Amino acid sequence: MPNTPLISIRGLKKIFTTLTGEKIEALENIALDIYPGEFVSIVGPSGCGKTTLLKILAGLVQKDGGEIKVDKESFDPTREVGFVFQKPLLLDWRKVIDNVLLPIEILKINRASMFGRAQELLELVGLKGFEKAYPNELSGGMQQRVSIARALIHDPKLMLMDEPFGALDALTRERMNLELLRIWREAKKTVLFVTHGIAEAIFLSDRVAVLSARPSTVVTALDIHLSRPRTLNVRTSPEFGKLSMKVYDSLEMV
Amino acid sequence: MIRTLRIIFSSSISYLFVPVRMKAAAFLKRHYLKLLQFIGFLLLWQIIIVLFNIKEYIIPSPLAVFSALFNPEVAAAYLWGKQISATLTEIACGFVVSAFLGILIAVIISWSSLLRSIVMPLLVFFNSIPKIAMAPLFLIWFGYGIIPNALIAILIAFFPVVINTTTGLNAVDRDLLDLVNYLHAKRWQVFIKIQFPNALPYIFSGLKISTTLCVVGAIIGEFIASDKGVGFILMDSQALIDTPPMFAGLIIIAALGLGLFGLISIFERLLIPWQRVELA
Repeated sequence: MPNTPLISIRGLKKIFTTLTGEKIEALENIALDIYPGEFVSIVGPSGCGKTTLLKILAGLVQKDGGEIKVDKESFDPTREVGFVFQKPLLLDWRKVIDNVLLPIEILKINRASMFGRAQELLELVGLKGFEKAYPNELSGGMQQRVSIARALIHDPKLMLMDEPFGALDALTRERMNLELLRIWREAKKTVLFVTHGIAEAIFLSDRVAVLSARPSTVVTALDIHLSRPRTLNVRTSPEFGKLSMKVYDSLEMV
Repeated sequence: MIRTLRIIFSSSISYLFVPVRMKAAAFLKRHYLKLLQFIGFLLLWQIIIVLFNIKEYIIPSPLAVFSALFNPEVAAAYLWGKQISATLTEIACGFVVSAFLGILIAVIISWSSLLRSIVMPLLVFFNSIPKIAMAPLFLIWFGYGIIPNALIAILIAFFPVVINTTTGLNAVDRDLLDLVNYLHAKRWQVFIKIQFPNALPYIFSGLKISTTLCVVGAIIGEFIASDKGVGFILMDSQALIDTPPMFAGLIIIAALGLGLFGLISIFERLLIPWQRVELA
């Protein structure tokens, strides 16, 4: 593992003010290093600020304290982040291919030069032949794949994924997990993946960061030394079981 | 903007190239019941008039109305071509200006909250004036003719366009804004790539309401002061208790309204193909 983290988070704090003026401390003290090429998952109880953490990293939410250090030499956080949201958030009026090309237009990169890449990405996410379909002709899983292709189109170094498969049924979700690992391997990205699923987190990641309930801190960051490439049956191994128990343990669920 | 339009258009064009004969056959197959209903209604009307010996100056028979419209000897007196072209011009001018003005104002007030706070109260105040009450004033300003009637149509018809378009521009899923904002989208990019296309279905429902109101506005204008137009024929024939052309006029007005509504619906299908996908 390279020595310089892509992103280094220290003492990150976020306080929300409700409509009634009440102050809610969502993130108290988050510390986390993310290294280039790493697949890091964040698990934690509902409402602990996982999504907020991603949104702060994406610049969508302002932090209230702490620092986020970025390896500026290799990474431009204004242009090299790809975000996959909980919902596919496709634009109904655009065909699949035009949805994938949206970031290119926003970043004012020549569209024609990226058309081939968009097609390659659609092939990568298993949607070859659906370029000209409209989003509402696709299933939920297919829509989420389009949104993954869209998040990859501008070749970001860092992928922020916010429970991207949370709304899918269990079978589709497992298939998407395998697909994601394949995409991650082929596209060579750094991934920060938020999920509720402990098994999903362990199965996908190099490291699982466990967040405490609000106000959140990183309770533990667990290294996952399962060999790659992984297949679904790794989940029945005793090692996998032990890792799960460790996560449950740090979530104080045991 | 051009790209957005191109993206929207490219898929719609193919729809235009379905053979006409196939469309006609499909149309008959789908609507023959309605056609039968319509013919049945006319028959019933004629029978009742004859059976109960109803005077023509109260309710004319369908045949008398037909004759007022199409029998050259009778219809010539009404100069339908001239009347229809006058009314249609008023409606068309009224609609085009309402649509343009309505969308423009909506864009302005959703762009800046300062402008909204200036324009919106004026707009609401203005809209609460009964537009018909302003007609006599227009008569002084513009005299007889197309302009005052088109103006009344505009005044009645542009408000729903403003309201619907504004609603559509603001009815954007907040998460969709996140989607472009994490890429540091400019304000105009958000507007052109997200807000405006998102508003299109709303805009069209506003335009559809507006077409009907334009017809109403034009006819009311002609009632108040005119020397031509379908509304003029209605007033003129009333003085003579000549009911067949009045019924004929009503049918023409309905047809104009329907035609315009249909035209807008076709544009809607062309410009919002993704909704057609959903319905299919």
